[in-house]
Parts: sequence; C-alpha cells; structure tokens
Amino acid sequence: MFEELLEDIAQSNGLREVNPYLKLAAALGAILLCLLSTSWVAPLAIALLLSLGVLLLARVEPRTYAKLFIAPLSFALVSVLVILLVTGGSGPLWAWNPLPWLSLSLTRESVGEAALVLARMIGGMSALIFLAVTTPMTDLFLVMRQCRLPETVLDLAMMIYRAIFLILDQLVQTYQAQRMRLGYSSFGESVRSLSTLCGSVFIGSWFAGEDLVRAMEARCSAGKFAMLGRIQPVEARPLLAVTAFLAVSAAIVALTGDVTAMQGVP
Amino acid sequence: MTSIILEARDLRYQYPRGMEAIRGISFHVRRGEKVALVGPNGAGKSTLLFMFNGMLRPDSGMLLFDNRPLAYDRDSLRELRRRVGFVFQNPDRQIIAPTVWQDVAYGPVNLGLPDDRVRAAVEAALGAVGLAGFDRRPPHQLSSGEKKRVALAGVLAMDPDLLVLDEPTNALDPAGSEDIMELLDELREKGKTVFISTHDVELAYPWADRVILLRGGEILREDSPEVAFGDAGLVRKARLSVPLLLDLHRELERRGLSLAGRRPRTVLELVQAVEQATRKAGVRPPCGTIHVCDVDMTGREALAGWLSSHDGISIGAMGTRAKQRAATEGLPLDFSSGVIDKCILKALNGRSSLILTVGGMVAQVERRVALFREESGADIGVRRLGEA
Repeated sequence: MFEELLEDIAQSNGLREVNPYLKLAAALGAILLCLLSTSWVAPLAIALLLSLGVLLLARVEPRTYAKLFIAPLSFALVSVLVILLVTGGSGPLWAWNPLPWLSLSLTRESVGEAALVLARMIGGMSALIFLAVTTPMTDLFLVMRQCRLPETVLDLAMMIYRAIFLILDQLVQTYQAQRMRLGYSSFGESVRSLSTLCGSVFIGSWFAGEDLVRAMEARCSAGKFAMLGRIQPVEARPLLAVTAFLAVSAAIVALTGDVTAMQGVP
Repeated sequence: MTSIILEARDLRYQYPRGMEAIRGISFHVRRGEKVALVGPNGAGKSTLLFMFNGMLRPDSGMLLFDNRPLAYDRDSLRELRRRVGFVFQNPDRQIIAPTVWQDVAYGPVNLGLPDDRVRAAVEAALGAVGLAGFDRRPPHQLSSGEKKRVALAGVLAMDPDLLVLDEPTNALDPAGSEDIMELLDELREKGKTVFISTHDVELAYPWADRVILLRGGEILREDSPEVAFGDAGLVRKARLSVPLLLDLHRELERRGLSLAGRRPRTVLELVQAVEQATRKAGVRPPCGTIHVCDVDMTGREALAGWLSSHDGISIGAMGTRAKQRAATEGLPLDFSSGVIDKCILKALNGRSSLILTVGGMVAQVERRVALFREESGADIGVRRLGEA
C-alpha cells in the first residue's frame, strides 16, 4: 500500500538542479507535439526520447519507471480496444455481429485511429511522468508564484502539500496498528477497520490543524506566507538539450505526417 | 550584575472544565542563564511555558518580560513572540512550509522584513544550527534531529533574546540529544537566554545553571542542580530520579571516602575528587597535551598531515561547524559532547588529544583548561595547531 512516493523520487533525481522552467517546457512541448502529430510515429519517438531522459539523466530506477507506466497504460489499452472495434470505415478487414444491434469490425481507418490514439497517450504519459519525477512540487510552487497564481490559492496549496505528508504518516501508523490486530482479516472486518481508519485520521488532522494555527501564532503570523527560495539558474547545457529535444521532436512530427498504421497493407 | 529577563509573580491558571494546572508560581530568569524546568508528566510544564510568549494568559498573577508586564494586544504579542522564541515539543507541529528555507523564512517574512534581510536572517539561522545547504529539502524527508534543528532555526531567524524549548530532546536518539544540547550551549555563548522543560534528569543535571522542580502546578524547589537534585526525598516526591553522578558521589561518601569540594556536576569533577581523596602525595603521572585546531584556519592537507604524524590520537569536535568539517573529511570523532572535560580526563591519564573547533571557542578551551590547571595543579598543556 505504501510505496515510494513520486515526490520523493523527484526530490533526489539526477535532474533536480535543472531550472524547472526548462523541464516544464520540455514536458508541455512534448504534449503539444504529440497532439499535433498526425502519425503514430512521432509520439512514440517522443516517448522514447523522454524515457531515455528519465532513465539515463534523471537516473530513475527502470523498475520504478515501468511500474509508473503500467497503471495508466492499462486504462489506455481498454479505451483503445473500444476505438479499434467500434470505429467504422470502408472495407472491413474482419467483422463479427454477435447481437443484432452490435457489430464489431476492424477496418483500415479504425486500426489507424487506434494506433494514433495509443501513441499519443504513451507520448503524453511519458511527458507527464517526466515532469513528475524530475520536478518536485516545491519547485513548481516557485514557478506558480512567478506565473502570478493568486497568493491565496498558492498558500493553500503549500499548506496542503505539507499536510499531506503529516496525514499520510498518521494514516500509515493507524493502518499498521489495525493490521497487527488483524483488522483486515475478513471483508466485514475490513469495512469496519476502514471506517475507523477514516474517522481517526479525520480527527487527527483536525487537531493538527489547530496545532498549525497555534504554531503560526507563536511565530508572529501576520497572514503572510513565506517568501520563496531561490530558483535554479538556467544553464547552457540543459537549455541546449531541451531546445534540441523539442527541435528533433518537431522535425519528426513534420516528416512523419503521412505515415499511418496500415501503410503497405493492401 | 546581570539583569532579569523574565519574571513570574504568583501565576495561576485553570483549564476550562479542569483542575488548576498552575497553582501560584513565582520565579525569575536572568539574562544569559540556562534554566531547566524539571517535572514529571502532567506537572504543568508545557502550560507554564505557553505563558512565556502569551499563548496562554494566566488567570491571575503577572508575567514580566524585560521588566515590563506582558500586554495581550496584537502588536505587543507579536513583539513578545519575536523576542521569546518558542520551540514546540513536536517539530512536525511547528514546521509549516513545504521547504526548509521557506519555513525558516516564515517568521522574518511575517515581521515584514525586506527581502535581503530575510535572506540574511535565514542563512544565518540555518548556518547556526548546521543545516546550511538544506534550503530546498522538504521537511518530511528529514530525520527527527534535523526537523528539530529546522524548528529551532525558524525561531532563531527572528533573533529572539529568550529561547524556550519544550522537551527539546524528546524523540531524539542519544547522539541527537547531545547535539541539540551542545547547540543550546553555543547559542548561550552568543548571548541568548535558554529555558527548557524536560523530565530527563540526566540531561538537565550537567547542563542547567539552575533548575526549577515542578509538580502538580507548584514549584517544589528552585536551586542549582546539585542542590535541587541532591534532596532524594524531594526528587522522589517529584516522580524523578537522582542523577547517577550524585548517587555515586553519595555512595562513595557513605563508604568513608571523604570527597572535597562541592557535589560533582560532571564525570571530571567526580574523578578529580576521588583522585584527590585517594592519591598518595607527590605521585602524579605526567599529563598529556590538548591540541586545539581552528578548522577555519587549517587546511585539509595541513590537518591530514598533522594527524598522520600523531597516529591514534583521540579527536573531539566542538560546535556545529567543526562537526560538519569532521564529517566531510571522514575524521572519526571520539568525543562530540562535553569535549573539553573528556580531553582533560585523557590528559590526566597521560594521553594527548585533539579538539576541532572554530573561532572564539579556541580561547574558551584555553580558558577552561587554565582554570582547571589552577584548581587542580595538574600540568596540562594546550597547544594550538600550527604553532611551533
């Protein structure tokens, strides 16, 4: 239940010292290019490049990275299967009518569409995972403030961020205490344990909130949240790397525009 | 003559729907003093501490800070809380912000300091607690000792006069506790007054200038540690225990060993008293030398060279910066707390040692050893590294 947190990976990854704007540009640029691409080739190429970045530059464990991919990918595959079978087209390659009102078919168009959607999903996912494992939330707060996000929203976000770890800690402790006393041994027991878990964590976080107010008062609170620390400077090599990545990706998008999945199949 | 920084006059406090938690307490704290409030769980320690910075307002009685009665309007409270730095028992309850830097900056920002002064204050505070370079770390990844330091830095950044710490070593391992207590000593050297609450007798005994024994919301005794903890009946009444050193001292005396001088506060004092009582006149082995190294003035090679020609020497480090230096250069430390005493003990045994430290603490070592030389007549040499 309690595995390594994404945020902890991000805090110690190999690209931690790179300016967050550059990483953000790489990730958002990649998503945009995946959407612009009309062929399945470019998003997959982008995913490959970003994955290499995550594995070689950020030095994230391949196992961890694979695990991060599996959960969203399983959702993606289900939706792609639907697209594959339901999208119509001319000249079906394969068709099946199990019920009078339901017809499933594979066509050139449906295969092409499904391949493109799947490729885009993989490209987009790799971009988001790239951002998540290379840029900790604490750095993104800096970016958000510089982008003029309203202070109240940001202050709230920062407090929530801090509270997540405190509450999670309490959750883990209570959960373990319950398990040690066989709290999840049967279905009925699990339901009961879960509800008490929620209750106790709620009460605990309520008290933590009161303590927070007290702590802020003791520290001369005047309703201002702390200023932000320094942001990592933009360095030449990462800047070049991101520019090159975006340029190469854009070129692939442009060059592979008319490659489709069923090309060459008569 | 040192002035009084905090004074309590007949404080009383009752929790809503509860019994009286504080029942008529009066005491005072002088500037630059180290005071320990010692008592069992539920004695009212935290309640009393919360009054020092106006978090709780006594039902009756009066608190004076810097000879002025506390006022409870918004502005006075803010000024009070700037000058009385409060460190909570649980650092997780005190740390607010998502990164170490932001958290330490919280106080200064809310005091309305300009950016450059905030930066300077944060840097100084993080340096003082030995967390330089932890700026962008999130608190949940730190160890308990590090969190405690962050909490302390957050308070130091506001440059308070009085530091109030509720159970400062709770949930810390022994090494972590020693580090925190030594850090408090360092801060006292910089002119802060330090007031802690604890139920750890062994911790308070050698550290405090004065202890206040508290039980059931009343002061049982307020005195120097060797006197306050010397009364076994009183200590038992307060659900505490007599410090090991005092216990040992008493047992030795009961066995007919006449130990001169006052009751010992440290192992060194006890050893010295025992030696004086048992030694035959004129027989004293030659003493070792204590070498002192200012790590800011000594380069890596010079230190390594010196150490290679003094193989097997015991090394102690005093102060946060010296300990960091020892850690980065991989020097094995034999002592990291009570360093001067332990080195004198070594020297009395005819062994030499090296103390790593910085700046003004070099002179402090020399003063302390000179004082000991005068008191005991033991000929212990102190030599600065780099001097011929």
